Amino acid sequence: MATFQGRTDWAEEEDEDSVQLPQQTITKNKDGTETITTWSIRDDGKKVKTTRRIKKTVVKQVVNPRVAERKHWSKFGLEKAKPAGPQTDTTSIAENISFRPMANWKASAEDKSETDKKKNNLKDAKIKCRICSGDHWTTKCPFKDTMAPEGEAATSAEMNDEPEAAGGLGAGGSSYVPPHLRGRGGAGEKMGGKYERDDLATLRVTNVSEFAEEQDLRDMFSRFGHVTRVFLAKDRETGRAKGFAFVSYADRTDAAKACEKMDGYGFGHLILRVEFAKKST
Amino acid sequence: MRPILLQGHERALTQVKYNADGDLIFSVSKDHVVCAWYSHNGERLGTYHGHQGALWTVDVHPSSALLATGGADNTMRLWEVKTGRLLHTWEFATSIKRVEFSPDGRQLLGVTEKRSGHLSTIVVYEIDPDVDAEQTDEQSLRIVCDESKATVAGFSYGAKYIIAGHEDGTVSQYDAKTGELLLNITVHEPDMQITDLQWSADRTYFITASKDKTAKLVTTNDLEILKSYTTDTPLNSAAITPVKDYVILGGGQAAMDVTTTSARQGKFEARFYHKIFMEEIGRVRGHFGPLNYVAIHPKGTGYCSGGEDGYVRVHHFDKPYFDFMYEVEREQANL
Repeated sequence: MATFQGRTDWAEEEDEDSVQLPQQTITKNKDGTETITTWSIRDDGKKVKTTRRIKKTVVKQVVNPRVAERKHWSKFGLEKAKPAGPQTDTTSIAENISFRPMANWKASAEDKSETDKKKNNLKDAKIKCRICSGDHWTTKCPFKDTMAPEGEAATSAEMNDEPEAAGGLGAGGSSYVPPHLRGRGGAGEKMGGKYERDDLATLRVTNVSEFAEEQDLRDMFSRFGHVTRVFLAKDRETGRAKGFAFVSYADRTDAAKACEKMDGYGFGHLILRVEFAKKST
Repeated sequence: MRPILLQGHERALTQVKYNADGDLIFSVSKDHVVCAWYSHNGERLGTYHGHQGALWTVDVHPSSALLATGGADNTMRLWEVKTGRLLHTWEFATSIKRVEFSPDGRQLLGVTEKRSGHLSTIVVYEIDPDVDAEQTDEQSLRIVCDESKATVAGFSYGAKYIIAGHEDGTVSQYDAKTGELLLNITVHEPDMQITDLQWSADRTYFITASKDKTAKLVTTNDLEILKSYTTDTPLNSAAITPVKDYVILGGGQAAMDVTTTSARQGKFEARFYHKIFMEEIGRVRGHFGPLNYVAIHPKGTGYCSGGEDGYVRVHHFDKPYFDFMYEVEREQANL
């Protein structure tokens, strides 16, 4: 502040800056509050003026003299010579807990958990008809009398499927190699590259209705496991499905299960044909 | 409500106690050390060193000058609260499961464990409340529990009776002068250990907690069961709150099963029941292990709990706790 002429050392000039800040001012307001104005310099060198308005209230608390005396006891044992106040290594404040006593707390808590559970269930599982895979319960299905549920349909469809395959329709009995037999042709083929892993758990779905959407397929197939990819071939001009699709699973066993279950599944007035995708050559 | 977490112990807490004014908390754990804390901010006042085994129990003299502890090193010790100085050691053949001062602070009671040919006993010593006085080694009373071992015990109002809880679920009433067994009532399920016994403010009734998942409110004079609180977990502790008509129950999965249960299933919560309507009104979560002891502030402004997880959690109740009333209570209050 004052002894500027005595300074020759330029290095101390910086200190000088902070000293030159205006003094903190305290003004008493009419409503009993105080306004405190302080100045400081931020890290980036800008001067900051801070104005705080505070209200002082005196809180009188009657403390039991015994308690008051004990508050000034010196610490001992492991705490010996430690400063006053809670030590961070032994004392901490836990997160806030809202505790609100309630009449029939139990009932309300149980209710909550029950509804939560239901909600979760609904979130996970969509209502789906086992006959037509519409979003209604199977018992309410309009096709209940005319179509068999999925599982039976699959078996019956399979029976139909066999002669069909023998008749040469589709790719039945063709060059399909089951995954466990793959790679026998040569070690080189095994290192198939980036599609290798995909192929193991990818199903080729044919005879798909041309009105099908990718989401329909995803919904149907995700019943058996985590579906990583659904590809539905579409006509570029009409935007309609071309009639085949690929569904990839994260897990091969899920894919196998889906293949078994969904082959012969009736979807949109057509019977799906599901098989493991052939190796892309 | 922001609980204060006290992390002074390295092993499971076994008992926590407020002093008579409620400004200090004493905690004992299986790590051989006794800790004293200020209840208002959780500051540790000091530690008491000398025990050679796990500590099971602690009690503070009504004057807050003396502290008694008992543990698995087969000793019961008396300490000066202010300095942590060891004043006296009583040695026994087995470990001490429970100590308690009489309401006037003239007597100290200890419950010894049953082991290796030694029966469980309740011993009483006369205590000189002066810190520098020489304490006597002579037992003024010795009650042998030959039927079922005592797990907890305490002095009734005016030190008239000694009430003890037993391993077989019974509670017995002894004459505190002669040691004569006056009453023995099966309060809890047979062969379900009574784990805690805490008094109401005037000691005319008490609450017992048991492994049979219930806590009972029992009168001192004729051991009549007034109320019963049923929970879904074995209980380790129960406390009666002054000011409001609640009881706090603490428990959880047995310590040995803890590793196989998650904190959610373990039911490691302090449960609040309405004392009169026997209905659960809320829970306070926080511990990672079963609650081994809950202690209530003598003025009813807060409580603390010691858990198997090695933490003491100190809670200061806030407004909803004091405001809560049943419809009937509100009507009564408005009359």
